Amino acid sequence: MISLTINGTRTQVRKGTTILQAAKFLEIPIPTLCYHPWLKPFGACRVCVVQVQRPHGYELLTACNIPCEEGMIVQTDTEPVRQARRVVVELMLARWPNVPVVRKLAAEVGLEKPRFISEMRDEAPDACILCLRCVRICEEVVGACALGYEDRGIKRRVVTPFDQESEACVACGACAHVCPTSHIRFEPEDYRGKPPEFLLGPNTAIYVTTPQAVPKVPRIDRDACIHFKTDGCQKCVEVCEAKAVKHEMTDEELEIEVGQILVATGYDLFDASVMAQYGYGRLDNIYTALDIERMLNATGPTGGQIRLKNGRPPRAVGIIHCVGSRDENYRRYCSRVCCMYALKFAHLIKERCPEAEVYNFYIDMRAFGKGYEEFYSRVLHEGANVIRGKVAEVVQAGWSKQDEGTLLIRCEDTLIGKFREIPVDMVILCNAIEPQRDAERVARLFGLSRSPDGFFLERHPKLDPVATSSDGLFVAGCAQGPKDIPDTVAQASAAAARMLATIAKGVVEIDPVRAEINEEYCSGCRVCNALCPYEAIEYLEDRKVSRVNSALCKGCGTCVAACPAGAITGYGFSDSQLQAELEGLLTVR
Amino acid sequence: MPYRVHCMVCAGTGCVSNRSLEVRDALEKEIRKRGLQDEVQVVTTGCNGFCAVGPLMVVQPDGIFYQQLSTKDIPLLVEEHFIKGRAVKKLMYTPPEAPAPIPKMSDIPFFMHQRLIALRNRGLIDPEKIEDYIARDGYQALVKALSQMTPEQIIEEITRAGLRGRGGAGFPTGVKWRKVRQAPGEPKYIICNGDEGDPGAFMDRSIFESDPHSVIEGMLIGARAIGARYGVVYIRNEYPLALERIQIAIQQAREYGLLGENILDSGLDFDISVTRGAGAFVCGEETALIASVEGRLGDPRARPPYPAEYGLWGKPTCINNVETWANVAPIIMHGWQWYSEIGTERSKGTKVFSLVGKVRNTGLVEVPMGITLRQLIYDIGGGIPGDKKFKAVQTGGPSGGCIPAGMMDQPIEYVAPDGKREARDYLDLPIDYESLTDVGSMMGSGGLVVMDEDTCMVDVSRYFLAFTQDESCGACTPCREGTKLMLDILNRIVDGHGTMDDLRALEEIAWVVKQTSLCGLGKTAPNPVLTTLKYFRDEYLAHIEAHKCPAHVCRELNTYRIDPVICVERGHGCGVCRRECPEKAILGEKNQPHRIDPTLCKKCGVCVDVCHFNAVIVE
Repeated sequence: MISLTINGTRTQVRKGTTILQAAKFLEIPIPTLCYHPWLKPFGACRVCVVQVQRPHGYELLTACNIPCEEGMIVQTDTEPVRQARRVVVELMLARWPNVPVVRKLAAEVGLEKPRFISEMRDEAPDACILCLRCVRICEEVVGACALGYEDRGIKRRVVTPFDQESEACVACGACAHVCPTSHIRFEPEDYRGKPPEFLLGPNTAIYVTTPQAVPKVPRIDRDACIHFKTDGCQKCVEVCEAKAVKHEMTDEELEIEVGQILVATGYDLFDASVMAQYGYGRLDNIYTALDIERMLNATGPTGGQIRLKNGRPPRAVGIIHCVGSRDENYRRYCSRVCCMYALKFAHLIKERCPEAEVYNFYIDMRAFGKGYEEFYSRVLHEGANVIRGKVAEVVQAGWSKQDEGTLLIRCEDTLIGKFREIPVDMVILCNAIEPQRDAERVARLFGLSRSPDGFFLERHPKLDPVATSSDGLFVAGCAQGPKDIPDTVAQASAAAARMLATIAKGVVEIDPVRAEINEEYCSGCRVCNALCPYEAIEYLEDRKVSRVNSALCKGCGTCVAACPAGAITGYGFSDSQLQAELEGLLTVR
Repeated sequence: MPYRVHCMVCAGTGCVSNRSLEVRDALEKEIRKRGLQDEVQVVTTGCNGFCAVGPLMVVQPDGIFYQQLSTKDIPLLVEEHFIKGRAVKKLMYTPPEAPAPIPKMSDIPFFMHQRLIALRNRGLIDPEKIEDYIARDGYQALVKALSQMTPEQIIEEITRAGLRGRGGAGFPTGVKWRKVRQAPGEPKYIICNGDEGDPGAFMDRSIFESDPHSVIEGMLIGARAIGARYGVVYIRNEYPLALERIQIAIQQAREYGLLGENILDSGLDFDISVTRGAGAFVCGEETALIASVEGRLGDPRARPPYPAEYGLWGKPTCINNVETWANVAPIIMHGWQWYSEIGTERSKGTKVFSLVGKVRNTGLVEVPMGITLRQLIYDIGGGIPGDKKFKAVQTGGPSGGCIPAGMMDQPIEYVAPDGKREARDYLDLPIDYESLTDVGSMMGSGGLVVMDEDTCMVDVSRYFLAFTQDESCGACTPCREGTKLMLDILNRIVDGHGTMDDLRALEEIAWVVKQTSLCGLGKTAPNPVLTTLKYFRDEYLAHIEAHKCPAHVCRELNTYRIDPVICVERGHGCGVCRRECPEKAILGEKNQPHRIDPTLCKKCGVCVDVCHFNAVIVE
């Protein structure tokens, strides 16, 4: 420990503590400018000078970078200190008269206007004041070294190398974060033109994936994290008291041996931008149902408020059902959930923006579940408009000032037999539910079949809607077909019960009908291996023959018919056995 | 076969630019022509320091000093001196006011008062031959340090000798070495700071050019004492000859096993690399120099940590000036007692100064500490040329201050060695680190600019400030903004637009820049302004209040008129001035007195230069 005196107060500090830190501890104010707690002390602005007693008088030293010494006598408010600070700030004020931080410092030292005018005077309020915080954070913390400075003396400027867009820049925004004058601003390309509250995705490198995530722990986005770009930063490691941040952790592949599998891989949303007539991705204020779900969420970007791009609440909202569903051109099936959630949106918008008109454009209103029809009636009573007819297109309403941002929905109202144009300022598209984009791969991996619509095929639509044709493999939820939450829960519970039943029984019964390979006849041609839909045939490298795994074989007979050597027979159904059975039947007693 | 005569032809930068190499070639040719090549040897040496009279040559063993040689003089010289054995009087140096030329180098006042330690081999050896250096007891100190002394003993020896950094600040070298030795971290580095940026100073260049091995030997002893593994010689790229010679010297030392691994079987591993500076004055500051060696922008950083703890590549680093390194070997050779007898109580040894400006014998001199300014300027420098009055001397380069000539009403108090106090003229100021600091100047690297009565002190401070302002790196606010504003104010004063408020602001800013700047450049940049304000305040006031420049240097403040009597009586109205005046501001007929129209005159001063009769008067 080192003891020193600041403004007459004795204090003890650890070795290596700077005067500034010691003064902060004693709550003695010292003005700073280029100092930043994340950065190594730099001592360039010289605003933080203090008076230190020396054997032959005193010395003016910068508090930010000078470590305390034993017996040091520091004074922060003497006439020389005040004069030095005043002149240093005056020098800055002479050059940057309108920069708020400089003006604030000037006010602190009691300075109204400078006595002189700098030749390099810059009247911009966001002028660069050469504190070099940006350059230092880019080097010290980020490690990218994308910023530097050029020229010397009064002509010094902060620049990227050769004034070109720097290849070393990782677009982390750290420089903008520490810039005290907003001379550097951060505008990531993806967010350009959108107000900050509409950044629907995560915008930091560490975030909790969703507000309801289980387990609720943050994750690091490797593509956005500075550490993975430059090997620097690691500020998160510094601040985490639990020492839980470990950048060296990587994705792991685990192999788990299981007896049964429930495939519940869910669904994907139909890409509405394919239907160019609805303007999604092309016109402003057109959202998909999931965008709106996020907006309506209390933890969402608008805190649950319905807002247009310009930040105002909408005056009229159009909700278009069956976008891509029940459509000969895209998906022929009904997505089953859209009508009800569209009505829910109508209800919530009415609740949160009572002034707004809501229009639902539907083909048929499919309110088939328990209590659904009643909800439909309630929404109608709340004043939501429903129009029966498929929307032809959504267009920009016009170019006059008052029409700005207004959209026009064109449709045929089949109930009154008229063509209508309805002006709205927000459109919600109810996209179709689609099989997952990797459903084909998953199907091949598990040996599942798919129905013509692309969803996984159950064993029997009525008698066995949770099992698949492979034993121990079950499907549930939208992976099997579009369904709402109650149906999904029911199906998943059934699948779970089926699996538990097998576990409880302890043994598995298999069908006796199966194929068998006579190794003496097998030539090892491996035709059967590729044909087997259940991947039940394996090739034995050492004996150069194929063998049927009798637990996997379903006895479909494909291999029996295909074997060129006639080496495969159905177990218990060999030619000679069948012949014997026939002979037995035909024998005249 | 030993030679009868050695001709030591100076090949320092000054003499080379005066064609000394052509003189050497002519000399060699002539000697061969006369068949003397086995009797007379021609040696090219480093700078002798007396650059004012180059190209020069010393003929040994007699020490006959020839000056201002040209190729035309060579046949006569060879004929007379080497064949007939008669020294050539007309090629010798004659001091002003002396009745006859002085034949011997050691009798010339310029050399007589000097004491050579750092420059001990100047003019005596060929700097490109390590054998010459070894023949002059070179590397003996290294052998002593390696075989007979422990690192602690070496540091003790240097500490007790009282050697202080010759770069300007005067930090005790032994203390610095001990700090680096004790600092944790490996490998340790030592750096030779040869970034000599002061205008008009060439001490380091001269040492590199005349005796590069003395620096290498010093660094080797330093490496042994500190425990350093690598050394760096940082040298200005504007010194091509010095660069070439130090590179040759390092190569030769490597060939002789004096650099590399296991030097002289002592187990010491040490090697030196050369880094060339890119021409920034601030790179002479140690932290900026380290940044430059590391390949970064040459910006100083805040200290602490000092380079002794956190230097090159973050390792303990010892930085010393070229002259400091050159002083190491003699101290080890002769012991600390020998060294500490030279100089004053607190400043030991000798110091090399470059004597320039309004002085007869400009050049490089090495003198013991404690010599007075009077001895330096009048005895060695030969006084002020042209019967002008001595006005001031500027020491320490652009960062130093101006010391005035005797101001009889403000004499300084001088404490004699016996404790007696007496008032003395500033000219009798014994030069050492403290005395110069006390009068507001500094030792610096050893530049001495002598100024006579024709020098305007406001203009001088403006000139030096313009230099430091231009060389400011721009890292810290006071130096970046403050020096510029000070320069603006000085420019206003020089142009006659200054006010008393300006003067007050100038003083205040200068004080703050000196007190609060980040590095030595900013801390010393206001020195010329502050010392001239202190000693020559009346000149500032004359500029501001009377709008006059007492030395008639600041043209904007001058008025020009033609004395009608002289113009007619002596010049018969010749009209040269009228023809030459670019502004057509001079009117008059032939044989009639001319006059200057003040509304047209742009004060360019051409009329003064062209008038043969001194009829144009500047007021």
